[in-house]
Amino acid sequence: MRNKSVVSEGQQIQLAIELINLGARLQVLETETSLSRERLLKLYKEVKGESPSKGMLPFSADWFLSWQQNVHSALFVGIYKYLLAHTGLRGIHALVKAYRLYLEHVQASSLEPILTLTRAWTLLRFLDVLLHTVKCKRCGGDFIAHRLELNHEYVCGLCRPPSRAGKSARRAPDAVQAAACAG
Amino acid sequence: MNTPDMLGEIKELNLAYLVLAQQMVREDKSEAVYRLGISEELADILGSLTPGQVLKMAATSVLLCRMRFDDRLILGLLTSHDKAGTMPHSHAAILLAGQPAENVA
Repeated sequence: MRNKSVVSEGQQIQLAIELINLGARLQVLETETSLSRERLLKLYKEVKGESPSKGMLPFSADWFLSWQQNVHSALFVGIYKYLLAHTGLRGIHALVKAYRLYLEHVQASSLEPILTLTRAWTLLRFLDVLLHTVKCKRCGGDFIAHRLELNHEYVCGLCRPPSRAGKSARRAPDAVQAAACAG
Repeated sequence: MNTPDMLGEIKELNLAYLVLAQQMVREDKSEAVYRLGISEELADILGSLTPGQVLKMAATSVLLCRMRFDDRLILGLLTSHDKAGTMPHSHAAILLAGQPAENVA
């Protein structure tokens, strides 16, 4: 689809810049904007000062199912669905807003933003195809699970954390503290 | 605390809440809808209140904002100390996102 209107092209460039700044890969930009690949490449280099990384996007649906990733994914999808239900935002605009709110939560709770924008975008494409949201039987929150698995007795990773959960997270502040003491 | 003092505090809190909510709605309505946990319709009403209306609304004897977590689980998560890696705040955020928004009838 080629844009004739200057205004709508301006909007597309604006959107592309926003996505690039949030860390989107080129494939995301190609799908979500109507700009040509050449223009996107040029824009990417101008905004980031480097060429976009090449190669395929991460395509594993299992990534979203391991413990920590699942929590982050569930949070992002929760915000996204909330925005769909209660605001006029749709599509990529809802994704960008939800992702910004997710980043904000992660920063406020001093967690690592392990869900990148490209992963978040992939997750939404997987939803209702490979993955879906299931209600945890204990807390009632919506979490991400395989569509083909039997999930009627689903208990989320936060209500029943695996025994190794948080071990690496606990080490990180200690390391920071140690570094601070040494400095 | 005596009653006139308490009424003064309530009025002040109401005013602070309304002014903040208005500011949030005017800056970015969809973000405000998520953060305040209200419907878009309610956000529109809040955003369109005049300063006079805000002052009048704030000057009541009851609080205008209310606990969003009438759920024992969410309350427990938000007040709990971080047990290694259980991420209580993220858990609470996931549950809050799943709750219905405050609406106008």
